[in-house]
Amino acid sequence: MQEAYLGIDIGSISTKGVIIDNQNHILASSYIWTEGNPMGAAKKLLHLLEEQFDQGNYRITATGTTGSARKLVGDMVGATIVKNEITAHAVGTTTLYPDVRTILEIGGQDSKIILVENGIAVDYAMNTLCAAGTGAFLSSQSKRLGVEVEEFGQIALQSKHPTQIAARCTVFAESDLVHKIQMGHTKEDIIAGLCKAVAANYLNNVGKGKKILSPVVFQGGVSKNVGVVEAFKKALGCNIIVDENGHLMGHWVLPFWQAEAADENPLIFLWKIWSLRHEKSTVENVRITARSFAYTGTGCSSTHGGTDAIMEH
Amino acid sequence: MVRKHVAFPRFSHYNLCIKYFVEQALDAEYIMQPPMTNRTMEIGSHYSPDSVCTPFKTSLGSMVDALEAGADTLVMTLGFCRLGYYGELQEKILRELGYEFDFVNLSEYSTGNPKDYLKALRKIAPKASMAKMTRVGVETLKMLSCLDEIEAEYYKNCGFELHHGDFKQVWNQFLAEMETAENLHEIEAAFKTVKKEFSAIPVNKPEHPLRVGVIGEYYTAVDAFSNLNLEQKLADMGVEVHRWMNVTNRNLHYHGKNLSVEIKDYCKYEMGPTSTANIWCAKYYASHGFDGIIHAKSAGCTPEIDIMPVLQNISSDYKIPTLYLSYDSQTSDTGLDTRLEAFYDMIQMRKKAV
Repeated sequence: MQEAYLGIDIGSISTKGVIIDNQNHILASSYIWTEGNPMGAAKKLLHLLEEQFDQGNYRITATGTTGSARKLVGDMVGATIVKNEITAHAVGTTTLYPDVRTILEIGGQDSKIILVENGIAVDYAMNTLCAAGTGAFLSSQSKRLGVEVEEFGQIALQSKHPTQIAARCTVFAESDLVHKIQMGHTKEDIIAGLCKAVAANYLNNVGKGKKILSPVVFQGGVSKNVGVVEAFKKALGCNIIVDENGHLMGHWVLPFWQAEAADENPLIFLWKIWSLRHEKSTVENVRITARSFAYTGTGCSSTHGGTDAIMEH
Repeated sequence: MVRKHVAFPRFSHYNLCIKYFVEQALDAEYIMQPPMTNRTMEIGSHYSPDSVCTPFKTSLGSMVDALEAGADTLVMTLGFCRLGYYGELQEKILRELGYEFDFVNLSEYSTGNPKDYLKALRKIAPKASMAKMTRVGVETLKMLSCLDEIEAEYYKNCGFELHHGDFKQVWNQFLAEMETAENLHEIEAAFKTVKKEFSAIPVNKPEHPLRVGVIGEYYTAVDAFSNLNLEQKLADMGVEVHRWMNVTNRNLHYHGKNLSVEIKDYCKYEMGPTSTANIWCAKYYASHGFDGIIHAKSAGCTPEIDIMPVLQNISSDYKIPTLYLSYDSQTSDTGLDTRLEAFYDMIQMRKKAV
């Protein structure tokens, strides 16, 4: 029986899960929409992972959760470690790409930049008052255009003259988009323009004042969009590395990182146990772990939102 | 003559000092409104212009709290940014809501001649003795610097206590004593006691703990309600939290000219009420081996937005991580937790590697 680790990343838009062995090989992975129901998504994800998982030869010895619903789902599955997604991304990427200097990350509602020196994160920034230029923006525009968001990238690549779209604010971008459609711009050009707008918005907001050095790794759900990748390449004038499993980066590193960090607290979880509903004992374990990592945060309410994002940026 | 019931919007622990001065020197009653809550913020935001900075909203809400608690005379501070205009607008808003009260807006008395502030005091207490006001004034400043000193000590040490809550208990006790203090002797005795009790609390502090410096806009950086308990959250993670910004440092012992000499490589001109101090402070933390800097401001605070490029230069010159936080009237703190946790992880891993 070999050891395996489970990591779950519950974001605002999508929920991702992987099981890896102690050599970092992926044994099972899944990627589904959260659809506003993190608990339900996590349950569904566990079932999907269970189907792929070789229960005869492996057993899960540690579980980690990250993403905006990490505490809620962490309680549910009895996670060994609950870690914020910024740290998870930084550690995951620097493990796979030790030379990386800049990590760009665009998710459903968050965007982050992490600057790395000698394999260690030295500075980071995250969008604060405004979610313009994130995955949620692309999803909503895809509906307007009648195109699946997954196809965005390929369509964008066909464009020769991307439409200029006002990217500062999602609301303004949408008005501008409608205007450009009415002016007769083609769908390809508009979609390419949207991808360009996402990159420009990111660099002007989150990336403002940060020195972006190569090698650059791009991850998060939006990194699956080749149109945005191209736009970043043009804007930064350097190659952009997108890992095949970049959308899973947030969590797959958690378990093995945890295994290094929490030797004194080896919690053995059997697959069968936590695919059932969580029990008292596992909740206890979560508390112990939470304390040993000095976490103090509580609360499950929404994040900062605001009115004067335009003034800020 | 009827005794006036004076109140000032809540600002950290400084209401205790104002209470002392009002009650001991001006023969008036001080109304201590309850600490700010989400309701304070809601009421304040509801009656404020939407894009005004958060301190306007909280202080307006806190004025309503004070009026509800029985105040009939409100005092509002002066300020060297937009804050200087806030009193006038807030008075107008409250009067339009139908409240009746006397309003002492210190901005109206900031003429450049310090003697004019006396007129503001005379408005509250026409017959108060000059000698008494001077003596109590000095005592009030003593109380203020004691409070600031103890608070600074609190945030530097409370993250390392062996028994959770020890520091908080002593600090709260001290605050309660300052609220009831009636003379200099009581202030000094309580100060001595709290010093002694702080040093007796068992702590487990490493030789080189993680040290983070908090800078930023005056009100938001200093007031725990406004920054969602930023310093306490950091301290609870096991960080030694430093904050230079307080009334003692910024107003009582402030030498702006000398500070600007020390930062002349970074900026040439004064950019706002706390800009020089914050840039100097960031440089100080960066050059004294701190592990990180946190810059806190209310959203839309122009002077603080202006100094951010300078802070970015300091951050890259000294290779010190800097976290920028903007606060608005949303009081939820999950987003803050995520950012602080990540910041903590980053500076901790960095320290380990170095």
